Amino acid sequence: MSTPTQVYEPFRAGLPPLRKYWKSLWSRRTFISEYSRSELREQHFDSAFGQLWLVLNPLLLSAVYFLLIVIISGSSDSTRYAHLTATLFLFYLVANSLTGGVKSITAGQRLILNTAFPRIMLPVSAVVIAIFKFLPTLAVFLAIRTALGLPFSWQMFWAIPVLLITMLLALGLAVTISCINVYFRDIASFLPYMTRTLLYLSPILYEASDLKPQLRTLELFNPLFPILDSWSRALVHGQAPLTSHMLIGLGWAVGIFLIGTYFFLSREREFAVRL
Amino acid sequence: MSVRGLGLTYTTAIDRRPTLKARVKSLGRGGKQTRVIRALDEVNLDVEYGQVLGIIGTNGAGKSSLMRVIAGILPPTQGRVEVYGSVSTLLALGVGFNPSMSGRDNVYLGGLAAGMSRDEIDSHFEEIAEFSELGEAIDAPMRTYSSGMYARLAFSVAATVRPDILIVDEALSTGDAKFKEKSLNRIKELRSDDRALILVSHAMATLEDVCNDVAWLHKGKLVQRGDPKTVITAYREFLQVGKSAAIDEDV
Repeated sequence: MSTPTQVYEPFRAGLPPLRKYWKSLWSRRTFISEYSRSELREQHFDSAFGQLWLVLNPLLLSAVYFLLIVIISGSSDSTRYAHLTATLFLFYLVANSLTGGVKSITAGQRLILNTAFPRIMLPVSAVVIAIFKFLPTLAVFLAIRTALGLPFSWQMFWAIPVLLITMLLALGLAVTISCINVYFRDIASFLPYMTRTLLYLSPILYEASDLKPQLRTLELFNPLFPILDSWSRALVHGQAPLTSHMLIGLGWAVGIFLIGTYFFLSREREFAVRL
Repeated sequence: MSVRGLGLTYTTAIDRRPTLKARVKSLGRGGKQTRVIRALDEVNLDVEYGQVLGIIGTNGAGKSSLMRVIAGILPPTQGRVEVYGSVSTLLALGVGFNPSMSGRDNVYLGGLAAGMSRDEIDSHFEEIAEFSELGEAIDAPMRTYSSGMYARLAFSVAATVRPDILIVDEALSTGDAKFKEKSLNRIKELRSDDRALILVSHAMATLEDVCNDVAWLHKGKLVQRGDPKTVITAYREFLQVGKSAAIDEDV
């Protein structure tokens, strides 16, 4: 009774006590998983046909893009198709985190106005949902890869650190954009154009090594470029990714995550009055 | 729990949906984007364990804002709030519910949102289901529920949380007369020496019945605090409505 368990005082910009924040976020992990599960169920991903659609949608997309590649370049091979599916599926992990994350705060209005909880939970569960949607497509890719007869190698395990970096990047982007959307609600309408641009700037429809030297600077502005190239090298070609690409990708992911989280945490106490 | 010199000013966006487009358009003109509202002004309030505090006041008096500050949802702009113990809020019913899921799933979802652990919900599930009187409908999706059924389940979940401090904001007027009575009894059961209850309501008769302390807020200021009878009488005189049926009825 001598020390208060909670003290609420005025704040200016700045972070809440991080350890306490993390503790209360961790204590709510079951809620995060239950909340994500209920969202997934709402989109019918718990049923057989829902799961099928989850796989069918990116598969059809990759088929359409493959058609595009064949028409534009005139020829293609199985490695090309494997590269396209592998990178497209990973790209959709990031894109789904963004589309799920952008409205996570504004859609959680009732929760935010009526309960006290770490607000970062909402974009986090958007990323969890995107990961759940990604996992079955990874299995499909491995099946495609086997069917195409590409050789397996130990170097493929490089994909694991690449995936972790991608998740961190996706989380950072989701946190950032959910926060921006509170102040500028039309960001959600810009988002499809932004993800579409990102798709074409990334080595998905082409391989990183095919890029003309004069366009190489594009690499520098796209966090997904080194990540997707490393992913393709590891999973499709069975080679170790370039160290420089791994480091640049990690740098982007950590940077965006830290900056985005800082903005989010220093702003989140204001969300309740901004909604 | 102690509230010291609490002030709260909102800066809310004038536009309901602030957009980048609107911001860019008004860049050159330097128009004001936000409006400042003074919701609470120098409020001092102490609540001890064992107290049941009723909060009364007209619409817009700052009752809900005060509750949100105490619950840690809104940060104060002035002053300091100290809370000793766990706080649970019942500011609105069915927070965290997902209408496309079954009642059973929503008990878990709502309970977790209210800060309970999965084990706690497991052990209280039967009690919640029974209290809500839903019967077999508990396994039907919540969008098929009537609004009364929805509210009953929501109240049942919320009433199972056993915090040190419980804040209830006009959430009791749910369901039919029978359920209302039942929920009022549940609130009375929750009164104990090691718990503080704060009730926000317009139902004077209920407050007089349940509370042992009443605070009257008006335009963000604390007007009077003390014995329920005295404060409520003063408030009624202020409203000049006397003991009419309109403010007595609802819970």
